[in-house]
Amino acid sequence: MFEQLGTAILDLLQLKFLVPLVIGTFVGVVGGALPGVTITMTIIVVLPFTFGLDPLQGLAAMTGVYVGGSAGGLVTAVLLGIPGTPSAIATTFDGYTMRRNGEPGRALWLGIWASCFGGLLGGVFLIATTGPLAAIALEFGPWEFFALFIFALSMVVGLTEDSLLKGLLAGTFGLLVTTFGSDPIMSVPRFTFGTEFLRGGFDFLPVLIGIFAFAQIMTELEKMHGGSGSGGARAATPNLKIAQLKVIGEILARPVLLLWSTAVGLLIGVLPAIGGSAASVMAYDQAKKISRRPERFGTGIPEGIIASESSNNANVGGSLVTIMAFGIPGDAVTAVMLGAMTIHGIQSGPLFMVQEAKLAYGIFAAYLLAHPIMIIVMALGARFFLRVVTVPKSALVPIVLVLCTVGAYALKNTIDNVWVLALFGVFGYALVKLKFPLAPVILGLILGDQIEVNLVRALMNDPNPLLFVTRPISALLLGLSVASVLFSLWQRRRQAARLAALPETAPDF
Amino acid sequence: MTKLVLAAAALAILASGSAMAAYPERPVKVIVPWAAGGDTDNIFRPFVLPLQKALGQTVVIANIGGASGTVGAREAKNSPPDGYTLYVVHDYIHLTYYTGVADVNYSDFEPICSVSSTPSVLTASAKTKWKSLKELIDDAKANPGTVSVGATLGSTSHFFPALIEKAANVKFKYVSYDGLAQRMNAILGGHIDLTDGNLTQKGKVDAGQLRFLAIATEKRAPELPDVPTLKESGYDIEYAVTRGLLAPKGTPDDILGKLDMACSEAVKDPAFAASMKAQGTDVKYLGRKEYGEFLRKNDEINKSMAKELGLLKR
Repeated sequence: MFEQLGTAILDLLQLKFLVPLVIGTFVGVVGGALPGVTITMTIIVVLPFTFGLDPLQGLAAMTGVYVGGSAGGLVTAVLLGIPGTPSAIATTFDGYTMRRNGEPGRALWLGIWASCFGGLLGGVFLIATTGPLAAIALEFGPWEFFALFIFALSMVVGLTEDSLLKGLLAGTFGLLVTTFGSDPIMSVPRFTFGTEFLRGGFDFLPVLIGIFAFAQIMTELEKMHGGSGSGGARAATPNLKIAQLKVIGEILARPVLLLWSTAVGLLIGVLPAIGGSAASVMAYDQAKKISRRPERFGTGIPEGIIASESSNNANVGGSLVTIMAFGIPGDAVTAVMLGAMTIHGIQSGPLFMVQEAKLAYGIFAAYLLAHPIMIIVMALGARFFLRVVTVPKSALVPIVLVLCTVGAYALKNTIDNVWVLALFGVFGYALVKLKFPLAPVILGLILGDQIEVNLVRALMNDPNPLLFVTRPISALLLGLSVASVLFSLWQRRRQAARLAALPETAPDF
Repeated sequence: MTKLVLAAAALAILASGSAMAAYPERPVKVIVPWAAGGDTDNIFRPFVLPLQKALGQTVVIANIGGASGTVGAREAKNSPPDGYTLYVVHDYIHLTYYTGVADVNYSDFEPICSVSSTPSVLTASAKTKWKSLKELIDDAKANPGTVSVGATLGSTSHFFPALIEKAANVKFKYVSYDGLAQRMNAILGGHIDLTDGNLTQKGKVDAGQLRFLAIATEKRAPELPDVPTLKESGYDIEYAVTRGLLAPKGTPDDILGKLDMACSEAVKDPAFAASMKAQGTDVKYLGRKEYGEFLRKNDEINKSMAKELGLLKR
């Protein structure tokens, strides 16, 4: 197996494969870094070019986009506090805080190297265990998916700094937003107020940018207006120097964290319909749970960045597993890749690895090679990215606002989405002011439709609700959900006891 | 960052150039009302390549998915009738209208041409015990309402099994799975027993993970010589999904003519034909008039099917 992989890597180093791979990775990084441009949109832009190419050239380009995009999102997340792609959500928690603490270079490169390590570890794992992993994923019926999503939500609710109640409420807000528009099963309009636009529901992207970006920009503005002394001084002397070896050392000194986050990312990747955003948030939560000092999460510590970024790149590997093993797309990005194969007449399915071995190992090789290429692209770009930090806020804030608005508009070429952006911007800002955590809102948004669809599916299949607690995997996951909430209660109490004397400032996110 | 803003602005200006000159003088948008990588998307992506060559202008696919394809339908209906927004449909447009899922029907559009036809194949999970259509029907008769079928409710994948249900006088249980990819996931795991599949899933059948029970064509397909037709099994059912291009109502006649011309050239493209063969789909070109006639007949058929199956809501 590894012999075939070696041959494939050597094959891929030929110029005719390397060029599309490098271009794909570069385009992916750029698309990932632009808020409002998702990896799916980027890969669709690349798709038509792949028709004229040899299948492996096309798939190499797409794999490059996927890997580059998953890493590119961190640039915006760290430097502007806005996730460039949804999968970089959790990177903002500590990445942006670290940048504000005057270490943008360290934050950026921690993210980049964590992406690389997470992705590569995930890749090795992917190649070794494609079969068994994918087999587990197939066992997930609607009951198990429902339970899994509830588990994911319960974990993130536990992240809340202030109170469990606010976390739960925040998750509910997210779920409620997804009930707007036509219901996902029979298209019955809900909360549309008779408008045509709301029948499609709220698009995820403008809501996400609204809640994150607008809230972020408003807090920036407050700081500018208030104490320009301390804030300005800090921004004036950011530490742009990067000690690469030190950053790598920081990551490798935390092997358990790295492996665990990678495992979370892989697992989420293998399961269909979840994606990198959930992987990043869940890995962050896991990191916080296994940490001995969970209270430091959100204050700009490396652990937070490493967890989020290693898991979202490992997630890419996981999504590729399902394509390899079953010919089933794990998410929207792999669906486009699968489409490209279908157009070339390649039969996807369980025999893919055997019948199309050259292509399959070619994709593995492209995936592994895309990581060092991503590092090079980032290294060349980092100098320019980091200049963003030195741009005065009065110039930067309007530019970011314009970018976000353009992104929301471009999604469907409709001004309605700009209103959605504005609406949720205000909503997000209000949440921040009231000290509600944003992560559960976002995860509720991501999972809302899936929770509903799987609940309905389960009951259409068998009206007996007890199946949720009698099917073993589903019961286990629901049990873990309860345990997760109880654990965070316990952790909070222990923390409170330990830090009773120390004064602490709660971070915004 | 500033450079990116400038680039974005430049693109926006380019995209919004003024109309009026000879059509087409700016890129044409084609709305595919489902996600990228789905069946319809896979058929139209290779199609727009020869189409844009014939038109002499860029053709861009916009995937506007959601709610059984009805979100994209509404968007297309509300687009200006200037030939710069086209819309891809298949039989779902009639079905979603008559089953009450959407209020958009084919008559809200002008026909341009049909492009392809994909026959349905009744597909069973390998985790079921049926080796043939007869075994399935016998089992379904003995245990009514236990055989689960994954389907996009109110769309073609719901109607095809419903036709069999009626012809064989059995009762299935429907579970909502939007789109073929999701249904494949569920059927491989054995979470549903049956679904409406097509030849693109042949790889999984060869691997023993799925079973093709019957094909809904007049004669057996050359790629699947061992799969019997529904007709030879005694059920008079032929079912195929025909895909074509529409434009919003009121699009000028000469523009429709130009598009149809381009369409008739594009379907002859050998690369497109090869790609359709790989996807188990026949190239089926009908011009403006013929396609309009086809849609009208198909609408009546679908209406009476919906009525017979008790799904008619209008």
